[in-house]
Parts: sequence; C-alpha cells; structure tokens
Amino acid sequence: MSLIRHLLVIAVLLGGALTSWASLTSWASAQSSSLVKSDRTASTSSVPAEVLVVLAKEEPGEIDPQLKKLTALRRPPFNSFRSMKILSRPKLKLTPGKDALVSLPNGRRMKLTLLRVMPDGRYKVKAAINRPDKADYLPLLQVVASAGDPFFVAGQTYQGGTLVVGVIVDPKKTAQ
Amino acid sequence: MQTPKTEDEKLQMFFDGELAPEEEAAVRRSLEGSPEGAAQLREWEQLREAMKSVSADWAGEIDSDALFARIEGELSAPVVPIEQPKQEPPVLRVVPGRRERRVWGGVATGFAAAAAIFLAVVAWPGKPTTVPVVRGSEVLEVDFGSNTGTIFEVEGGAGESLAVVWIDDEEVGLP
Repeated sequence: MSLIRHLLVIAVLLGGALTSWASLTSWASAQSSSLVKSDRTASTSSVPAEVLVVLAKEEPGEIDPQLKKLTALRRPPFNSFRSMKILSRPKLKLTPGKDALVSLPNGRRMKLTLLRVMPDGRYKVKAAINRPDKADYLPLLQVVASAGDPFFVAGQTYQGGTLVVGVIVDPKKTAQ
Repeated sequence: MQTPKTEDEKLQMFFDGELAPEEEAAVRRSLEGSPEGAAQLREWEQLREAMKSVSADWAGEIDSDALFARIEGELSAPVVPIEQPKQEPPVLRVVPGRRERRVWGGVATGFAAAAAIFLAVVAWPGKPTTVPVVRGSEVLEVDFGSNTGTIFEVEGGAGESLAVVWIDDEEVGLP
C-alpha cells in the first residue's frame, strides 16, 4: 500500500507539474507573440503611402474620374462639393519613427509619421499640417487606419475652394 | 529375546487364556492362595462372562452379511461428482484486492486527469491567432491648435468608417 500511495502522490504531483509547465509554456508563447507584435514597430520596414490632394468646390464642375472609386467623397460632409480636382497625388514611404513631408499647394506642409503597426494590423500614424517653422494650424493628429482605407483632413481654403487631403497607408492592400 | 513379563501382563494374559499351561497353573495357584487374589480372580471371571454375553447379544442383532453386502455395493457404485456449494469469496481475500484495484484505479485516474489537463491547456485554443480584420480609420487624438474643427465619420465603399478631420480655416494665403 505504501508503494501505491507513493504512486498516487506522484501522479498528482506529475499532473500539477505538467499543468504548470503547460501554463508556463502557453504564457511564454503568448508573451513571445505579444513581443513579436509589439516589436513589429522596430522590425517593420517602410510602408507605402499615398496622399491625395483634392481641390473641391461648390460650383458645379467635374468630378475627377480617379475619385469615383472614393465613394466617401460623395457623402456628407463632402456632398456639398460639385467639383473635385486632383491637384497632386504624391506617393511616399512611411518609415517608423521618421517624418515624411508632403508639400501642399497653399504653402503648408503635411508631416506624416508612422508610429507603429497595431496588433490588428492597422497603422498608427501621426500627422501635422503647418507652415514651415510654424505649429499653429494642425499641430497634432493621430489616427489608426487599416491598409488601403484613407483618412481625410479637409477645411483649408485654397483658390476659392477647399483642400481635401486624403492619406492612404499601404494602398496596394486596399479592398475597395 | 523375550523380556520377562510383569505381574500385570501375566495376569492379563492369564485372564485372556494366553499363558502356557504351566504358567497358567502357577498364576492360578498364586491367586487362589490368598483371599484377595481369589476375590480378584472371581471379579475378572464375572467381567469376562459379562462381556461375552454382551458381545453375543450385539452379534445377534447385527446382520454382518447384509452390512458387508451394502458396503460392497456402495463401493462398486459409479462415482457421482459432488456438487460443491457456491461459496462466497472469503472477505479477507477480496477486500484487499478491491482496495488495491481501487487504489490503482485512483492512480490511473490521476494520470488520466493529468494528461487531460495537460492536453487541454496545451491544445486549448487561446486567443485567436488570426485577429479579425478591422477596416476603416479613426481619430485617436487631435489638436486643432488656434483653430477649431470637427471630426466626422464617413462611410467608405465597403461600409467601413473613415475619419474626417475638418478644420475651420480662418487663415488664408501664404505668410
């Protein structure tokens, strides 16, 4: 009976040890996975991006055919514009931690910085629009955007119209 | 070599009629020579006669031929196996075995439980490895500076929500 009791105790201890080991392994795996995800900022190379600079006016006119796929521009608050023209469409690469500058037609510059790639795959981007050496217009804007889905900064007046700036990160992955 | 007979043995043999004639005559003379011996001799003779009488009575009552015939008949009869009554297993032999099986069952159950827990923890699907795709864009933080502004959400082509930051631009023109 003594041997059997020993075996019983060993079985219980073995079960506990296996459970602890499995939990530790699972936790370590989760931690490792989390670290991998958080380290994606450091390991992510530059991500392509596209900035769409559109001059929108309320006067009736033409809507640039290239914008027809952007159905969001036909919905409020953009539906008051009757004409839209693409002024520029610069492509750039966003590198984590490094600023990318885009010149706007009104003399301001848009500064874009890729902060990190979120665990869900979205990109956390910081944007700012100002005149050179100024910080009074749009000092800070932080957004998260999925690949191919734009975010817009609008409202700057220019040549009787309004500038609508769309930023698309990783546009090739767009599902639109 | 014949050992000399003791007095009791000689008396017993005399009484049973097993002594030689000269020895029997000598014993008889010795017994009849004293009153105690003569009295003892008479008692033994009466006892012997009583035993003979009882033996004759028993012999008359018992049919020895029939008895032997019955014995021989039973001996020659075919052997019938005796059905053993079902016996309950001795308690003292069963209890340790059951207890032992129970304990071994406990050990096996312990191992099985450990294996099940191990497999459950290892194979249990934790957080889904494939994070559901989140579409659209959203504003986390905005600082309009000296201006005012509004944050909109506009629906994209796939129904996703797209962020729109609208700034009320009061400043016009280049510096």
